[in-house]
Amino acid sequence: MLKGYSMNATVAKIRAIHGKMFTAAQYHELLLKGSVSECAEYLAQSPRYKDVFRDTDPNTIHRGYLEELLHQQMYDTYVRICEFQQLDQVPYYRFLIGRGEIDSILLMINNINSGLENSFLVNLPGHMIKRARINVLEMSRAESFDELLSVLKGTIYYKPLSKVRVDASGKAEYTDCELALRKSYFETLLEYVDKDFNGSEQKEIEDIIYFEIDTMNIINAYRMKKYFGYSSERIKQSIITISGKPVGKLAEYFEIEDPDQMMAWISRSRYGKSHRETDIIETIIVSSRYQWLNHVLASTVSAPVALYAFMRLCAVEISNIVSIIEAVRYGADAAAVEKDMLIF
Amino acid sequence: MAIEKMSLVNILGSMDELDAALERCCRSGGFHIEPAFSPGEARGRLLNDKNCYTALLKRTAKLASDCGVTPVETDCRSLEGERAEDLEKRLESLEQELDVIRQTMQDADSRISELTAAAKHIKHLKGMNSDFQQLFSCKHVSVRIGKLPIGNYPKLEYYNDNFFFIAFESTKNFCWGMYFCPEDDKERVDDLFRSMYFERVILPRYVSGNADEASKKIADEIAQQEEIVKETEEKVGAFRKENEERIQQLFSRLLFLNRSFDLRKKVGAVSSGFGAKHFIIKGFVMKKQEKEFAKLFDDLETVDVSFLPPDADSGCTPPTVLKNSFLTRPYTMLVEMYGLPEYGGINPTAFVAITYTLLFGIMFGDLGQGLVLLLAGILLGKKLGPKAGGIVRRVGLSSMIFGTLYGSFFGYEEILDPVFEKLGVDFLPLKVFKQTNFILITAVGIGIGLILISMLINIYAGFKKKDYEKAIFGCNGICGLIFYGSVITGVVATVMFDVKIMSAPFVICLIVIPLICIFCRVPFSAAVKYKKWQLSEDGEPMTVGGFIVENFFEMFEFLLSYVSNTMSFLRVGGFVLSHAGMMLVVMTLMDGMSAVGKPMVLVIGNLFVMAMEGMIVAIQIIRLEFYEMFSRFYDSGGKPFEPIDLSFSSQIEQ
Repeated sequence: MLKGYSMNATVAKIRAIHGKMFTAAQYHELLLKGSVSECAEYLAQSPRYKDVFRDTDPNTIHRGYLEELLHQQMYDTYVRICEFQQLDQVPYYRFLIGRGEIDSILLMINNINSGLENSFLVNLPGHMIKRARINVLEMSRAESFDELLSVLKGTIYYKPLSKVRVDASGKAEYTDCELALRKSYFETLLEYVDKDFNGSEQKEIEDIIYFEIDTMNIINAYRMKKYFGYSSERIKQSIITISGKPVGKLAEYFEIEDPDQMMAWISRSRYGKSHRETDIIETIIVSSRYQWLNHVLASTVSAPVALYAFMRLCAVEISNIVSIIEAVRYGADAAAVEKDMLIF
Repeated sequence: MAIEKMSLVNILGSMDELDAALERCCRSGGFHIEPAFSPGEARGRLLNDKNCYTALLKRTAKLASDCGVTPVETDCRSLEGERAEDLEKRLESLEQELDVIRQTMQDADSRISELTAAAKHIKHLKGMNSDFQQLFSCKHVSVRIGKLPIGNYPKLEYYNDNFFFIAFESTKNFCWGMYFCPEDDKERVDDLFRSMYFERVILPRYVSGNADEASKKIADEIAQQEEIVKETEEKVGAFRKENEERIQQLFSRLLFLNRSFDLRKKVGAVSSGFGAKHFIIKGFVMKKQEKEFAKLFDDLETVDVSFLPPDADSGCTPPTVLKNSFLTRPYTMLVEMYGLPEYGGINPTAFVAITYTLLFGIMFGDLGQGLVLLLAGILLGKKLGPKAGGIVRRVGLSSMIFGTLYGSFFGYEEILDPVFEKLGVDFLPLKVFKQTNFILITAVGIGIGLILISMLINIYAGFKKKDYEKAIFGCNGICGLIFYGSVITGVVATVMFDVKIMSAPFVICLIVIPLICIFCRVPFSAAVKYKKWQLSEDGEPMTVGGFIVENFFEMFEFLLSYVSNTMSFLRVGGFVLSHAGMMLVVMTLMDGMSAVGKPMVLVIGNLFVMAMEGMIVAIQIIRLEFYEMFSRFYDSGGKPFEPIDLSFSSQIEQ
């Protein structure tokens, strides 16, 4: 449908918004604020977030609501870009909504497993209610995994979740659900890519998606090895694999028995090129990905690639701001927070 | 080329009369104060007391601002002699009187802002028909009013808790409304709403009736309070009318005292016998104002004023005041732009005035446009200051004179021909395009003349300062003058007049020997001044090889500068041609226009040429002055004369 139709305007628009993203200096300024209210005031005055903070009073804003507004801004930006050249008509471009839907389902599964009443509704972001293609509010009425499945019947999430093993108490293992949903998400996304794009553009999108899968697998495998002592075989079963696409270069990494050697392998690979002086794996991997995505965004002429890269960068930005606000709220040491932030 | 002669003044007196002495220094309008002692000097110390007038001045400024008085300089002699305590009493009485009036206004203002905030909240509850007071007084039901993020509103339906929410108004991000719950469940429901980021609004107790009634009551009360504010403003106006003069006097007096107190930081304190304390003020006045200055202190019994030569104190550098006539005074602006000369140096203002006016006239010669500049100078003098206006008037006049010689009037090059014919002057007007070579050669000739004059000034300045390197051996000294003059004479005689004067003795005596002198200027000047042989200026050891290499490159630079500076004056001729060329374009454009268009093109073309070329010519002449002439003789580094002045307007007539 969109073949041969120029998306240069969308790429230019994405780059223009990218130019307003927070810089290291702005993170530093934010970190020097004395309270959450001052942080909110700073964000409300920044060109990047001023729209979403328009009606709010920085003096009375709740920290949780502030974080929700940051995510809302990311979704608003995403929707605005997609609507700019009617990209929202193409299935691939619903990738961010799909991610939000999965997060909502996982939130509900966690709610069922923990037995906490109303925790799903409390934590469900308000902006997801109108954007999700599934009835997220209806999910809140489910009291067991089977009831949740019946709500999700007819959606793309039913099939992967229906294969998850359920225990005697009617609960499903959270990590199994997450793996099934994420695997299904990426498989579906790659199918859309295969259908809607071709040539070098298709290759570029696949590269960026596989890079993300790899980074997720690397972090999860390291955690499983370091904190739970999982064997290589168990790790291989617990990572995201895509049908027809073997683990490939990462096979060697999954075989490593020692977490320190895993870290050494990462530092030698393209996933650990951030050269950050930290031993937190998320910081190392996400910083590398952040650099690479910035490079992709600067060099690509493809709208789907630019949008995907940009949204991942936005997620990193929000993660940084949330970390800073938490640090300010609890009076953490600014230098230590800055050291472990995901910025480049 | 004179610089005003200065005298060093020492004012010594008893500490009791310090304020009076400072006041007289200020009143003189021509006293440049210097710190009485250098840091660490044993004879005494500088005063560093806390300024007791600063706080009073701030309070007076606030009082003036509160009652809408703009401080202007006012005659405050009636307050002379009053101490800080007396002035404070005056201020307090005014403050108390105004405070009584303003308190009512502040109360009303604060009530208005409180009511406005309540009205803003109630505005979002339009449609609420129950009485607020009745709702809040329920015993078994809790009511909360506030706003909920709009995204969380649909969630309410899915909670099974014992509450209900009534929405009144929705904005882009929030839904305004109220929720009701049993008193017993209040805490749990409050927690639930807090988790959805519900922001509660506490309405003031006085809000009663339903939303519409409450809005109306609040609006009525706001109107009442505004009426009170209006009445109070009238009272403030009456207070202002009654006390404005007193406030102005008080402010002027305190400002004067505050500033004069700041001057104390430069006043020295010395102790004399029997524990008596004395002050010493040091500074400069113009020599011609000595008597007048001393007379100001006649009525002060303990104060003694003594005048010394300006260089009597090695710790104080005398300031420079340029002495200029009415004709040259505006050009001090250009000299100050480059930097003031040192005290005892040369005042180049007259030289700048003559050369600037002359060159501008040559480069921008047009009778009509010069007249416009002259008129513009008269108007600009009022807007941009007397100096800028003065320069524009003078260059305008010069432009008119040269315009007459060129026979040019707003670009019409033949309009003055009949006048000259009638007068019988056949060599005028000067036709620019027909005499291009003459114009360019004349321009270079003017340049040579100006460079030679600059060298002569440099020689004079060098001898005055007893700087023999500068006066005799330098590239702008006597040797430079002989070398440059001889080369020019030789070239002109040989090329233009075919006179062979470049004989061997001429070259050896007037070109080679001066060049050797310039090359060896450092050792020669040291030999003359210190009667000893040294290769470097500061006496540092230097090898002969090092000396030759260093001076070879410097000589190269000197020779290049002679050529480039001379050729630089070609621009003077260039602009004569460029001006005529631009006006020719205007005339050509005009020819192609209709009868209506012609005058428009003429006016716009002339304005364009005047604005653009006038600006460029002005800048180019400044460049010629600074680079081609000033660099040959002028040393800046003088200290500006800054007489102490405590009046509101600090402009001093010089």
